Amino acid sequence: MKPSREAMQKVPMSQVRPFYRPRRTCPFSGKNPQTIDYRDVKTLSRYVTERGRIMPRRITFVSLAAQRKLAQAIKRARFLALMPYIEK
Amino acid sequence: MALYESVFIARQDLSQTQAESLIGKFEKIIKDNGGKVANHEYWGLRTLAYLIKKNKKGHYAMLNIDAPVNAVQEMERQMRFDEDVLRFISIKVDELSKEPSIMMHQRNKEAQIAAEFGVDLEKKEVKNEA
Repeated sequence: MKPSREAMQKVPMSQVRPFYRPRRTCPFSGKNPQTIDYRDVKTLSRYVTERGRIMPRRITFVSLAAQRKLAQAIKRARFLALMPYIEK
Repeated sequence: MALYESVFIARQDLSQTQAESLIGKFEKIIKDNGGKVANHEYWGLRTLAYLIKKNKKGHYAMLNIDAPVNAVQEMERQMRFDEDVLRFISIKVDELSKEPSIMMHQRNKEAQIAAEFGVDLEKKEVKNEA
């Protein structure tokens, strides 16, 4: 959460972190997680590149457990021709 | 007995009733082998992401199955013989969802939009007549 302006002013300048941004967290774990479903092409397509390759975890910040499930779901969706294997 | 979600894709030149009779056929195989089909869904004629046996589109259907392994194996064997079935997958699940799957949500939405569009078209026609 972004601190309010007043709160920022009370903190001494040496402690203000102007470039601080909370770390992005995994949408499939933690509080109210999204479900991973091989039929949900809309969600799955956010985790593949334009060419249809599965995106690495270091870019998407998906947790390891979720990444495994996600990869499985994408592969199932590909097999059922809901998603492409490659997109030129 | 184990729970499965079985999805299959049928050839594009089948009619909707033919595709739905295919669902009935596989449902019967499951029942004859001591299982039961809790629910089935017909997802409609969808465009495939890539060609399968020269088909651009396919009828998608899903069966929610509660059956012993041999019943599912028998159904898959029959699907392999059936020329109308392009592809199938049976996935073991922890529980069968009672609510319609996300595909049905999308279909309902499309139907709604189409209905709205139909109404609009009718209005336009009325205007033209006047």
